Amino acid sequence: MATERREVVEAGGRSGRLWLAPIALLYLIALIAPISFFLVMSVFRYSALELWVPTVTGENFARLLGDAYHRAIIVRTLKIALLTTIGCLALGYPLAWYLARTASAWRGLLMFLVIAPLMTGVIVRTYGWIVLLGSEGTINTILRGLGLVDRPLKILHTELAVLIALVHILLPYMVFPLFAALAGQDPDLERAAHTLGAGRARTFLEVTLPLSRPGILMGSALVFTLTAGAVVTPALMGGKDVRMLGQTIYELTMSTLNWPLASAVAFVLVLCQFAILLVYFRSGRRRAA
Amino acid sequence: MPRDVRVATTAVERRAPVVAAVPGTGRTGRLALGAAVTAIYVFLLAPVAIIVFSSFNPTEANTFPPTGLSLRWYAKFFESAGFVAAFRFSLWLALVAAVAATAIGFLTAYGLVRCWRRGPGVVQSLAMLPMMVPHLLISISLLLALMVVPVPELAALIVGHVLICLPFAIACIVASLEGIDAQLELAALTLGASRLRALWEVVIPLVAPGFLSALLFTFMVSFGDVYIALFLSGPGRTTLPIEIFAYMQWESTPVVAAITTVQILLIIGLGLVIERLVGLRNIMRV
Repeated sequence: MATERREVVEAGGRSGRLWLAPIALLYLIALIAPISFFLVMSVFRYSALELWVPTVTGENFARLLGDAYHRAIIVRTLKIALLTTIGCLALGYPLAWYLARTASAWRGLLMFLVIAPLMTGVIVRTYGWIVLLGSEGTINTILRGLGLVDRPLKILHTELAVLIALVHILLPYMVFPLFAALAGQDPDLERAAHTLGAGRARTFLEVTLPLSRPGILMGSALVFTLTAGAVVTPALMGGKDVRMLGQTIYELTMSTLNWPLASAVAFVLVLCQFAILLVYFRSGRRRAA
Repeated sequence: MPRDVRVATTAVERRAPVVAAVPGTGRTGRLALGAAVTAIYVFLLAPVAIIVFSSFNPTEANTFPPTGLSLRWYAKFFESAGFVAAFRFSLWLALVAAVAATAIGFLTAYGLVRCWRRGPGVVQSLAMLPMMVPHLLISISLLLALMVVPVPELAALIVGHVLICLPFAIACIVASLEGIDAQLELAALTLGASRLRALWEVVIPLVAPGFLSALLFTFMVSFGDVYIALFLSGPGRTTLPIEIFAYMQWESTPVVAAITTVQILLIIGLGLVIERLVGLRNIMRV
């Protein structure tokens, strides 16, 4: 393994850094610098005339955390992000397990079907859920046809609708890392557990599940951050009733033009994300040790 | 690390399938799993299927089951100047972003796989950065940068799309590069080829499937994007998803279903090509 690696490296020469220069430059100029600048804006003073005044102030954060309206949005966003992560995990785990273990001839197609919705874009899938869940939609038509309800259920424009659509949209992001973690396991480990007398449930709980932990953490981190930053899905599925951080940022920059406050909201978002990533890397290190 | 994963994956395939081989995985267990997996697939595909159905619906409302069969919403789509212009702009933008992201992605993937002494690991995670950051944040920051640095907005839109496409391009090409034997390059170099010639005549033809899948994948990512375009599109630069989003805020006739059906067909076609070329399994690993 070690020698093989050296040969591979020699085949490419010793110019590793040079090959990575374009992407490093691009990320630095177009990703890291702008995002840093945007986040620094959270301590600037808001001005209706100049948009922002570069003097350090804590008033944006004070306004954000002090007022009940914004606090409710933060709490709701965290709640929906958490529930979406749990939902994706509950649906994604059996799916990833099945895809990693099956010998079905349809495996390629089944994998394609998991990725296909990802490729159609957020708008397409959100629109599908609007058609399904609307008051004239498929679910309500079926329920009324069966005589289960006499008035259409209000599903659209509720937190539940946002949750369903987000789980659907983000499921592939959970399945990728889980699949990688599950397919990478040595099947002999499960067999060994069986030979040693462990039942199916115990083998799963003590061998398969702990070994797939990196996948679980990675997928959860991805889904949580992507939910927390969602704009379009909450706007279309939740309407005016279900506001989340993403929409707040969008409106603050595009209509209210209060960049410093928008930046403070984004800062809260990034902080949550860092907390999640910290958990991810710390547990990864503990596993290595 | 990915190398080990690959070895293990092939091991799973070569041996008898674990589901059958593990003693004690009984019939009921398999049936329950099968039912659960089927239900999950129904959940995944129902919204997409419903769009295709309702696009042939002759009435205004999104009723189900459809009361007849008609192509009127497709006709409406192709008659609408706004939607057609947005569709064409989206195609153009996706093409530009895909080519640029694939080119930069190849350089990065080659550097990661062949030239990074300690193996890809952490650096590859860094290369995946745009996937970890909410896209909302990327695009809003680019918009802010535009206010400070005088760059045309179109350039910012393209850069934003290249950024969100890059992780996918890198994943495709890394998967493809890891599958080819480094000895072939060594041989070319030993026989006196320059590094550039070895790259051009040995490496690039061998990773051609990876290139093509990267192109198609990034094309789809760019075509489906809303977040970057949400902040950076403007008059004459509206992408199709943004045009649909704007339309949907006011009304929702099946014309949206017709447009998205066209889009779904396009994407399924491209996806099947990728599956044939490299297999989506290799991309899912990352």
